[in-house]
Amino acid sequence: MTDVTLYHWEPNANSGKPMLALAEKGVDYNSHYLDLLNFDQHDPEYLKINPQGTIPAMTHGNLMLTESTAIMEYVNEAFDGPELMPSDPQARWRVRWWMKFFDQWFAPSVSMMGWNWFVGPSVRERDPEELAARIERIPMPERRVAWKKAIYGLFSEEELRVSQQRAEIGITLLEEELTKHKWLGTDEYTLADINGFNLGFALPMSQPDHCNDEKTPHTMEWLRKIYERPATKETWAKGRTELASRVTFLERQ
Amino acid sequence: MKLYHGEPNAASLTVMAALFEKGINAEFEAIDLCAGERHDLPITYGVEVLRSVEGEGPVLVNNGEAMADSVFIGCMLDESKGDATLLAGDAYRRWQIMVWCRHVIERVAPAASYIGNQAYLQDALKRMSDADFAALTAKIAAEDLRGRWEEVRQGDFTEERLAECRAKIVQMVDKIEAQLSGDWIFGDFSLADLETYSWLRGMLSLVPESFDGHDSVIAWMGRVQDRPSVAKALSLSVTGSPEKAWPVGPEINRWG
Ligand SMILES: N[C@@H](CCC(=O)N[C@@H](CS)C(=O)NCC(=O)O)C(=O)O
Repeated sequence: MTDVTLYHWEPNANSGKPMLALAEKGVDYNSHYLDLLNFDQHDPEYLKINPQGTIPAMTHGNLMLTESTAIMEYVNEAFDGPELMPSDPQARWRVRWWMKFFDQWFAPSVSMMGWNWFVGPSVRERDPEELAARIERIPMPERRVAWKKAIYGLFSEEELRVSQQRAEIGITLLEEELTKHKWLGTDEYTLADINGFNLGFALPMSQPDHCNDEKTPHTMEWLRKIYERPATKETWAKGRTELASRVTFLERQ
Repeated sequence: MKLYHGEPNAASLTVMAALFEKGINAEFEAIDLCAGERHDLPITYGVEVLRSVEGEGPVLVNNGEAMADSVFIGCMLDESKGDATLLAGDAYRRWQIMVWCRHVIERVAPAASYIGNQAYLQDALKRMSDADFAALTAKIAAEDLRGRWEEVRQGDFTEERLAECRAKIVQMVDKIEAQLSGDWIFGDFSLADLETYSWLRGMLSLVPESFDGHDSVIAWMGRVQDRPSVAKALSLSVTGSPEKAWPVGPEINRWG
């Protein structure tokens, strides 16, 4: 019996962060899969849990938590199991710095391209009236705009250009950082690695010219090392789409 | 430990007051963030300063490492000395504080900066010669930060954006009012009070309507301002009106 329930989509991006953190801690949780491509996150039932209509959300007893990165810090503190933050305060700062850089700068650009490539095309063919109705019930105005752009293919060239440029810069900065310590920002495996893996595991496939064994050997090794961890294997096995199954690309030859 | 800080407003105010709250000794050096002096310091620049999502915030040098991002510096200071006071409590309260601060960083800080840049910084930048401005921006490593400097100088502000930004300030004030039940946002004083105050202080005069009818929020701001740490930080103002100092801030979310 567990009093933890996680509402999540695929092990990827924001959903995958608490999934992997819980798995690393060895915390058993009720997994409540919401199909983002079916707009499950805007169902009235789910809005009672998270009125913003975004994924992930977690309940622990009668507590309700949102915001994937903050949930990870909570998971690390609230449960026994391996420590996922460094003990040195300055190393903790570095871990948090990288998570913010991912969450606010790097990941949104990668995500925009993902929505353009996967999310939009996956739902576009449905009945136009149904789609319009689905968009109508999205609670956050910014998200309504994002969905419209994805569904109707309205991302501007300029937007996509900036996202691509940021992805390339992000890949370079990450590679440089990974030459400095054993893990990201420090010598211990932390939440920053978990966060970064969720953003980065597919980069060798989506950005093959920029993220590969020749140009970014440290990043490739880092991704493979994380992929090999039992918690990662267990978590990615919960995926139901090609988004998650791509992870096997990281299998060592 | 050495802190290079701007006027005690926004991100600089958070870190200055956090140091005083914790009683941590640091050497303070005032720099003009609005003149780009953060890009000309005698320090070893790492990615954390060059690519800080916060924009032109303060820089703390500790153990030879140049650090940026005021909320996380606040966390580090709290974890470095004595019992936790800025982020005290159990995991859930700490989650509440982190999520709250995140809202301030992601939604409020970009909006406040846009409003503050429009009101004050653009005129100062417009007075600079082309050559001086080019020399300033040439030192800025991050393309997006450089782009925001250029937009401010060009006066690239739209009424629509300004209205959206003001709406975010209004929402923040409503959110504080809804959350306040005692003196502070989450029971005892925390980093959430400090960070929120630091970004809202200048909005009192720039978006006064957002405080209309919110006496409890005004009273809360008074309590924050009266804390010895905050009063001491404010007393270090060079210009005498720190609420007018709005360096280029974080970017407004480009994706959801
Ligand atoms: N800052 C939030 C963002 C959550 C979020 O936006 N999740 C995305 C999925 S990765 C989502 O729910 N998108 C679906 C929608 O907006 O309808 C977090 O880190 O948890």
